[in-house]
Amino acid sequence: MNLLMRELSESRRAKWAWALGLVAAVLLYLPFYPSVGGSEMMETYLRMFSPEVARLFGLDMMGSGAGYAQATYFGLMGFVLLAIAATGWGSRSVAGAEASGALELTVAHAVTRWQVVLEAVLALLVRVGVLSLAGSVTIWALNGPAQLNLRIGNLAAVTTALFLLASVVGAAALLGGAVSGRPGVSTATGAFVAVAAYAANGLAGLAGVPWLARLSPFYWAFGQDPLSSGWHAGGLLTLLAAFTLLVLASGWALARRDLGT
Amino acid sequence: MTGAVVTNALSKRYGANTALAPLTLSVGAGEVFGLIGPNGAGKTTFMRLLLDIIRPTGGSARVLGEDPRRGGAPLRRRVGYLPGELRLESRARAGELLEHYARISGPVRPGATERLAERLQLDLGQQVGKLSKGNKQKVGLVQAFMHQPELLVLDEPTSGLDPLVQKEFLALVREAKAAGQTVILSSHVLSEIEAAADRVAVLHNGELVRVGTLSELRASQRRRLRATVAASTMLEGALNKLERVSAVSVVERGAEAQLSLLVEGDVDALVKTLARFEVRDLLIEEPELEDTVIGFYRGESS
Repeated sequence: MNLLMRELSESRRAKWAWALGLVAAVLLYLPFYPSVGGSEMMETYLRMFSPEVARLFGLDMMGSGAGYAQATYFGLMGFVLLAIAATGWGSRSVAGAEASGALELTVAHAVTRWQVVLEAVLALLVRVGVLSLAGSVTIWALNGPAQLNLRIGNLAAVTTALFLLASVVGAAALLGGAVSGRPGVSTATGAFVAVAAYAANGLAGLAGVPWLARLSPFYWAFGQDPLSSGWHAGGLLTLLAAFTLLVLASGWALARRDLGT
Repeated sequence: MTGAVVTNALSKRYGANTALAPLTLSVGAGEVFGLIGPNGAGKTTFMRLLLDIIRPTGGSARVLGEDPRRGGAPLRRRVGYLPGELRLESRARAGELLEHYARISGPVRPGATERLAERLQLDLGQQVGKLSKGNKQKVGLVQAFMHQPELLVLDEPTSGLDPLVQKEFLALVREAKAAGQTVILSSHVLSEIEAAADRVAVLHNGELVRVGTLSELRASQRRRLRATVAASTMLEGALNKLERVSAVSVVERGAEAQLSLLVEGDVDALVKTLARFEVRDLLIEEPELEDTVIGFYRGESS
């Protein structure tokens, strides 16, 4: 647990800055639901677009508080911010440490490569968890004032989905770093997974290839609209499985190669 | 074969590039062993192989009796390592970072960190990221020494240290040796570890050029001999018959001859030959060890 504590203490400030960012994102959108979401203006907008385009931007769901929170925060700003934070942490913890030479010194001590990866993953989970909670706690606080009518169980379900989705993105960045040892490759891997997941989910409907969405972690997380309909084990377990695979691949890759060359 | 570090044809290649040619070497327990060579000689590669940071492409190594590949964390607990390029970036204070390293290394006696820091004049309250190169190097040295490991592997330990601290470092190495610890240290400048090392290995382009005690290395180097001898027609011929003598020059000035030559290794035969003549003055220059090493590189590349 020593590596975990070290990593958490090094990124303490960054974590709270990101948490503030997420709270700000929530405060930027959700208080305006009463004036935007249920209004006649929204109905007008919806008639302007084809159903596919409306779905792409989540406009079709804006009629309910759950749909509005999903479209503005969980499916957009919350996802983007968490994906960026998770990619940064996933990239820094292994590839960044290797590029700076710190990893060479760490593994010369009484720790194994697997331990390096697993503690980096735990540190990632703790931080992504804190951020996910910061956003959702803020949303729950606004639930009454902004007339969102969210159910706490559904909010927990969608928070779990966002948490796992961001963790998958972070683990992808970690894998990129564990394989290559290069922070650039690591960051690019995380960013690619995040963008591809978002795009595959959104464009599948537009392009008329619905099976494409089913390959997307974004769809696994939000495809069943958990904020409106509650827990869906299938998607969450698929995310968990993908996350586990990425972590195992990272440990395997880091354990078998030369460091810092 | 027993020894703190024993390698058998240990090698490392990166594609077509040989970082370390098959190297067979034994470092005895309690020995201070120096690795000398310019950048790219294979010193760092050798050390990283011992710590399992990189894996060999051929041969094998035993570190404290174990294969570094299999020894894992328990073996590394018994080793202290200072990387060659130490770039510590951290917001933590030096003392906090050292506590972290203490937790992931062998047991550290209470007060050991503070004592080492004081001897090396390291301020433990400073933020690591803001330390100068020399002070970061001290953090690296403290974490390598603090758990009194059986084996110390120090890559360029003196780089960035001012002369006073270098002296203190050499004292630490002597104390480690006295306590029975084995030390392997490298430098591209021989003079920095000359005072500490019992034996040195000279590496160049990944190859072992020479290994031996410092006096053995000195002895194998060519030295210049100058002498003033009573003029004799036999002198030059007699000297040229000797092996390991070269660049003989005899300049006669009246009844005396000024003699100058290069001799490699043992001088016995040369002195006995000279004794047959009337020697009025004799000087054999002490070779600069630095030149000796550079001489090895030249010999290697030609």
